[in-house]
Amino acid sequence: MSERVVISPTSRQEGHAELVMEVDDEGIVTKGRYFSITPVRGLEKMVTGKNPEFAPVMTQRICGVCPIPHTLASVEAIDDSLDIEIPKAGRQLRELTLCAHHINSHAIHQFLIAADFVPENLFATAVNSVSEVRKVAQYVVDMVAGEGIHPSDVRIGGMADNISEVARKKLYARLKSLKPKLDEHVELIVGLVADKGLPAGLGVHNQPIFTTDNLYGNRDNFDMDRFTEVMPESWYDDADIAKRACSTIPLYDGVNVETGPRARAVQYRGFTEKGVVAQHVARAMEMKSALSRAIAILAELDTSAPVRADFDPRGTNKLGIGPIEGPRGTDVHMAQVADGKVQFYTCLVPTTWNIPTMGPATEGFHHEFGPHVIRAYDPCLSCATHVIVVDDEDRSVIKNEMVRI
Amino acid sequence: MVLGTYKEVVAARSTDKQIQKIAQDGGIVSALFCYALDEKLIDGAVVAGPTEELWKPAPTVAMTAEEVLAAAGTKYTFSPNVWMLKKAARQYGLEKIGTVAIPCQLMGIRKMQSYPFGVRFLADKIALTVGIFCMENFPFASLQTFISEKMGIDPSLVEKMDIGKGKFWAYTADDVYTLPLKETHGYEQNGCKVCLDYVAELADVSTGSVGTPDGWSTVLTRTDAGETIFKAAVDAGVIETKAMDDVKPGLGMLEKLATDKKTKAMKVIDDRKAMGLPVPYKASSEKEDPLANV
Repeated sequence: MSERVVISPTSRQEGHAELVMEVDDEGIVTKGRYFSITPVRGLEKMVTGKNPEFAPVMTQRICGVCPIPHTLASVEAIDDSLDIEIPKAGRQLRELTLCAHHINSHAIHQFLIAADFVPENLFATAVNSVSEVRKVAQYVVDMVAGEGIHPSDVRIGGMADNISEVARKKLYARLKSLKPKLDEHVELIVGLVADKGLPAGLGVHNQPIFTTDNLYGNRDNFDMDRFTEVMPESWYDDADIAKRACSTIPLYDGVNVETGPRARAVQYRGFTEKGVVAQHVARAMEMKSALSRAIAILAELDTSAPVRADFDPRGTNKLGIGPIEGPRGTDVHMAQVADGKVQFYTCLVPTTWNIPTMGPATEGFHHEFGPHVIRAYDPCLSCATHVIVVDDEDRSVIKNEMVRI
Repeated sequence: MVLGTYKEVVAARSTDKQIQKIAQDGGIVSALFCYALDEKLIDGAVVAGPTEELWKPAPTVAMTAEEVLAAAGTKYTFSPNVWMLKKAARQYGLEKIGTVAIPCQLMGIRKMQSYPFGVRFLADKIALTVGIFCMENFPFASLQTFISEKMGIDPSLVEKMDIGKGKFWAYTADDVYTLPLKETHGYEQNGCKVCLDYVAELADVSTGSVGTPDGWSTVLTRTDAGETIFKAAVDAGVIETKAMDDVKPGLGMLEKLATDKKTKAMKVIDDRKAMGLPVPYKASSEKEDPLANV
């Protein structure tokens, strides 16, 4: 006899989503469906008709957890639409910002899942370790991009300013001294995940991986002809879920994919493992890759080089593509600029890619492991404007379907 | 309280001959920043540095004594130093920042420190603010206009400018030109007309020429940070001081000018308020001390 287990909203993640699992008599999941219940994002609409410079400022507000990828994807999309070639040092500073953000954001996820993996006697150690790592990573973003959370100095055409030689040396020294600390941190996290003893094969699926670059993002590896998008109505075989699901289903080569740290590790770093444990390990190991890349950039950065290109903001309505490898996966912004205004804007955010893959990945194991599978993707669905409907005349709230925990 | 809250007021000047030569008056700003840099009390200072255009300053991050001295001397037009503070903390990577500012800029800095919106981790990195006395400030075009049209000299020949004894002074290599201050009225920035602060009441250390003889400056220490750095500079022999009572024209002159500025501005504020115009100050009837800088 089939029974339904519903977790709504799923926890220890950013934003709100629902996990619906059909289970057999043993409690084993036979059908898993995961979908976003955070309504309307809307920020793309607010950007349309505005000056292109407004787009990164607005769309970085999509999220407070990964604002850096959104800012970068936005400027990359507009750079592409306006055919801007950004100076080398500008590109290096952008990549440096993202590398530091990878470290910071992965550490936040490790904090979120600490309750799953860390025994009480090690809890303070793990949380302190996360804090120390984040402090240094965020310092880099502050220095290079202006603000740690919503960076003000990532601009169309490059960056607002190069950093000074003093700052370069300071950041270099700090990141160098973070290395032993981070190695220890990664070892701790990987060890704790292993100690949990999750069943072998948990979360393994046969969907392909999707990624465009090792750590930054490369539009040459995002082929628009291979990309399609379908509405939840034609994806979920349950009419009620199809109606309530709030995000579109992006497909690459017609199938759903997995994006994120494990995908990048498989594509670019020779990683071969699959499943929940592999995802946590790949995420932790990626912190090391990001740190090593950040140190390399700081070693070779020319602090007297220009970081921003001159450009003509009028545009030719070319569809600009901005794929950025965010901590949670590939974040793609697309923009068209003509007559100096944004004509079209859309964002395809990392977790949206993963949503159709995450549900089925829970299948074949007991439903109690369902949340572990979901959390291994570090889902982030707070990319939404929370909408209420207000009466124009007396300002009373007519409709408020915001998720409450 | 027309001079704001302060701990001590003295006459002072830099003991460094080079600073004395290039400074506006007593060279207090240059001396304090050079000393603080040497002693690592600050790791850089945002100053009004020179640009390609003569007499048009731009905010510059000075990290050596040479860079501080390159910015010595008063420019009577605006240098938006506050704008540079965030960059000093970010792209320049400074952690203890000094800055020189006029009263209105200090109001901005203090407000920014109280409400750090868009400037995370900046408030606590401002280690030393030196305020300069300011009656009014001229837009660059105003300055050029009255120097070239009213004084009849090419602004590019001017080597030093000064305000004192009721006149605007311009020194060229061979000559000294003056213009009665009332001739400059109408050329100042509009905001100066409602400004209630003459002596940089919100600085750590305030300084200016009024109250002391030529070559000296009046210095008010206002905060613990300001007092500590100033006293240390005096103890180190970088700055020499005299009691205000021993110098002419003395504190009375400073109080008079501060009162004049406040009284005049308060009248404009009250007039504007009466017309229902927005003014970022209280009307005289709304506060206990009608001349308070609130």
